Amino acid sequence: MKEQWRLLQTGLNTAFSNMAIDQAVLVANSDGMVPPTVRFYGWMPPAISIGYFQSLTDEIDIQACERFGVNYVRRITGGGAVFHEKELTYSIVIPESHIKIPKNIMESYSRICGAIMKGLQYLGIESDYAPINDIVAGGRKISGNAQTRKLQTVLQHGTVLMDVDVDKMFSLLKIPNEKIKDKLIDDVKQRVTSVKHFLGKEMRFTQIAEAMKVGFEEEFQVELIEGMLSTGELTLAKKLEKERFSTIQWNHRR
Amino acid sequence: MLTMRSQSIYKVPQGKLLKISLEYNQDNNVIKNIRITGDFFAYPEEAIERMEREINGTLLEKKQLLEKIHSIINVDHIHFIGLDAESLVQGILMCKQ
Repeated sequence: MKEQWRLLQTGLNTAFSNMAIDQAVLVANSDGMVPPTVRFYGWMPPAISIGYFQSLTDEIDIQACERFGVNYVRRITGGGAVFHEKELTYSIVIPESHIKIPKNIMESYSRICGAIMKGLQYLGIESDYAPINDIVAGGRKISGNAQTRKLQTVLQHGTVLMDVDVDKMFSLLKIPNEKIKDKLIDDVKQRVTSVKHFLGKEMRFTQIAEAMKVGFEEEFQVELIEGMLSTGELTLAKKLEKERFSTIQWNHRR
Repeated sequence: MLTMRSQSIYKVPQGKLLKISLEYNQDNNVIKNIRITGDFFAYPEEAIERMEREINGTLLEKKQLLEKIHSIINVDHIHFIGLDAESLVQGILMCKQ
């Protein structure tokens, strides 16, 4: 019989809640309270997440975010700033000691990205892993990923772009040199794609989630069983949302 | 004593974008405060804050910086992805005016 992991479909949440849930699941899994977990989610309102090591004010135009009603949050994972609007976000939480997770961090990125690539294939999109942490389709980025390891547990979260508005993204992000902004925007438009752009048609969130579920099941040879957050996870997520992810101390710490 | 403040942006070869904010004493070139930011990865993440504290007081000079950073990496078992000790030193030295 195949190993069973938990699948969480938590729908659309605020940035603060989304990041709090990922960390709460990590803690619960580390405590042995919940099985390895794959989660699919979205962002409402749209939000920018920045990497743990980034400077908030270097990366984000806070006034523009407020004008557009876009939230911003610091992740517990490294990596770059991401504008989350029309995308499916996944996370996977699993013990570092699990036999299906390579000990080597780069190898584990590749393995987990393999699940996303299988999911994309199911949608009719051939893709490649592009180290360090991207997946590309037709040479263009369609997914970005970030991993942390805490409490002997792996958390990797990442995006599958459903549609992308590069102009809006750059109205919210700061860039080092305003003079080359137009050129930079053109470059990024050439280097990024999305499910909609690649296939030439819209796909619903639920269709993409179904494909990604199959991707994870095939890559890891497991069965994903839809479940709920435990009471402990919900309590911890609320606490982390309030005391960490929605606070100035956390988001402006660098 | 004149405190110099400067910033650098350094694209790590085959890696990520490193941004350094630095305060140092212009008379003796000793680092007073450093902030290491960027879109790189480091495990464990919290070690970067210890590294910033440890670098304070170090001379703004290649050999001493490299020794210091290698020693912090070894003690804290830091694993960088998209960044390395040599690039950190490069980014820091770019702040020297």
